[in-house]
Amino acid sequence: MIRIVTLEPYDPEDLAALSRTLYQAYGLGTEHAGSKPLPAEAESDDGRYDAAKILSEVEPIKTFADDKVLYLTSAPIRVKPGPLGEPPSWCYSIFGGDRAVLSTGRIPARGASESSIDAYRRRLARESIHAVGHLWELHHCYDPRCAMHPSWSPNLPENPEQNLCTFCRDKSERRIRMSKT
Amino acid sequence: MEGIIADVSELSSGDRVVYPNQGVCRITGRSTKDIAGQRLEFIEMAREEDGAVVMVPRGKVPSIGLRRVASGDQIEGVFHYLAAQYDDPELDWKIRHRDNADRLIAGGVLGVAEVVKGLHSLSRIRPLPTKEREQYDNARHLLVHEIAVSLGIEPALAEDYLDYALMPPAGTVFKLKPPPKPVVLPMRPRHKVVRTDAEDEALELGELGIPGLEDIPLAEGAAGEEEGEGTEAEKADGEEREEGAEEAVGAAEVEEAAQPPPARKKVALAPKARPEAARAAPVAAPAPARKPEPAKKLEPPKKPEAAKKLEPAKKPEPARKAEPAKKAAGTRVKKPEPKQEKKAAAKKVAARPEKKPAARKAAARKPSKPEKKPAARSARGKKK
Repeated sequence: MIRIVTLEPYDPEDLAALSRTLYQAYGLGTEHAGSKPLPAEAESDDGRYDAAKILSEVEPIKTFADDKVLYLTSAPIRVKPGPLGEPPSWCYSIFGGDRAVLSTGRIPARGASESSIDAYRRRLARESIHAVGHLWELHHCYDPRCAMHPSWSPNLPENPEQNLCTFCRDKSERRIRMSKT
Repeated sequence: MEGIIADVSELSSGDRVVYPNQGVCRITGRSTKDIAGQRLEFIEMAREEDGAVVMVPRGKVPSIGLRRVASGDQIEGVFHYLAAQYDDPELDWKIRHRDNADRLIAGGVLGVAEVVKGLHSLSRIRPLPTKEREQYDNARHLLVHEIAVSLGIEPALAEDYLDYALMPPAGTVFKLKPPPKPVVLPMRPRHKVVRTDAEDEALELGELGIPGLEDIPLAEGAAGEEEGEGTEAEKADGEEREEGAEEAVGAAEVEEAAQPPPARKKVALAPKARPEAARAAPVAAPAPARKPEPAKKLEPPKKPEAAKKLEPAKKPEPARKAEPAKKAAGTRVKKPEPKQEKKAAAKKVAARPEKKPAARKAAARKPSKPEKKPAARSARGKKK
C-alpha cells in the first residue's frame, strides 16, 4: 500500500487525483494517511530543508510490511552536494526502503485555471510516481517519456507523461510481486 | 588495476570488497568444507544489497577480480569521466556487448562507468534492445551502489549525482578535470576480413563453407534465368518442371559417376575467375576440378551471352553442343579435360530444363534420351 502524508495542507481533489494515478501506476492501494508537521530540525541556514533529515525526523505513521510512505511538502529541499555540485533534486527516497519525500516547490504553480490545475496535477503525479519508483528499486531511465527519467533533464518534454516505460513497469511489477507478504 | 586483491591475506573480516558483476560485499569470515573429497578453504562474504552469501575458494580469489571499494578520488574521476563529452558509442552490437561484458567483469569502477556512459550515449541515438537495456540497468545498479558505499550516501542520491553528470540541466557548466584513462580491455582476435572489390565480386555461395550446398539442386527457373530464359521459364507449366527435375537428377548422377566428390567441393569453393584469364589459359589449367554446371548456375553476369546462345537454329548443331563447355571453361580457371569436355557439355545441356511445350514435345518424339536436349533446342530454334 502507498500512503501519502502531507506536511502542509493540500487540496483534497489534488490528493484524490494523485491517489488514483499512483494506483494505476503500481496497482497498489493508495490513500491519504493524514498530515504531519514539517520537522523544524530539518531546516538549514539557507531556508531549505534537508531531505534526509525530514525523513529521519518526521513523526512516524502506522504502516505495515511493504507499505510505502510518500511525504509531500511545498518547502524546497536540499541534498548533500556531490563531486560535481548539488543536483537539483525534486525528491529524496530511501532506495528500496519505505519512505520518500517530494517537494512540490519546483512544480509550476497550480494557478486557478482548469488547464493550469490539470498541468499541476499531472506533474505532481509524475514526480510522485518517480519518488515511489525509487522505493521499488527503480533506477533512473533514459527514456524521456518514462516517469523515472530525471526531473531536471533537458530532454524532458514540457508536459511530461505520468507513465512508466515498459521496462520500468515490468521491473516494478516484478519487485512488487516478489515483496508481497 | 587499482585496488585489486591479489592475496587472501589482505582480507579480514568486516572488509568491504566489490565482487565483479555482484556488487559490494562484506567479508564475513572463512570456513573450511569437504567437497568431493577435497578440503577447501572458502572466503565467505555477504552481498550488502540483499545479504546473499557468496563463498569463494581461497585459491580463486586472485583470479575472480575481487577488488576494494573505489576510493573517493577514483569516484571523482568517474564523475569527471561521466560528465565529459562522449559521442562515439560502438555501433557494432557484437563488439559492444562483448566489450561491455569484459568491462563489467574486469574494468573496475571506471569500467562500469564506461558501460553506463557508452550505453547511455547509444540510447540517445536509438532505444536499446532488451538485453542491452538490462545490461545498462545492471551496470547502473552496480555503479550507483559503489558510489553510495564509497561516498557514504543513499543510493538514490548517488543516482542523482550520476544523472546530474550524465544529463546536466540546461545551462550547467562543470569545471572538469581530465578524465582517467579508459580501461584497457584484453586483446581478442577480431575476425575482420578485409576484402578487395575483386574478391567481393567473386563471392559465391560456395564460400560460405556450408557442406553440401553445391548439391542442392537449383531451381530450374533460376537456371533458365541465368541463361537468359527468364521469360520462358515463367511460361513453363508444372509438367515441364517435373520433367526438368528428372533430367537434372539424371545429369547429377552421371556427373557423380564421372567425378569424385572432393573435386566438386573444391570447385564450389574456388573463387570465380575472370573470363579473360580463363580464356587465356584454358588448356593449361589443371584438370581435376571439373564441374561446370553449378558454376554456371551461380554466375549472374552471363545473361547476354546466354541469350545470344539461345538464338535459334541459325547455328549448326555441333557448335551449339560445344558452346556450353566453352562457357563453362570461361567461367572457371579450371577447365575440363578435352575427353570429358563433350561429356560435360552434353550433361549441361541435358540438365537444362525445357521451357517451351513445343520443344518438349519435339524432344519427346526423339527415341534416344541423351539426344533429347539438343533436339529440343533445334525444335525451339525452328519454332523461332
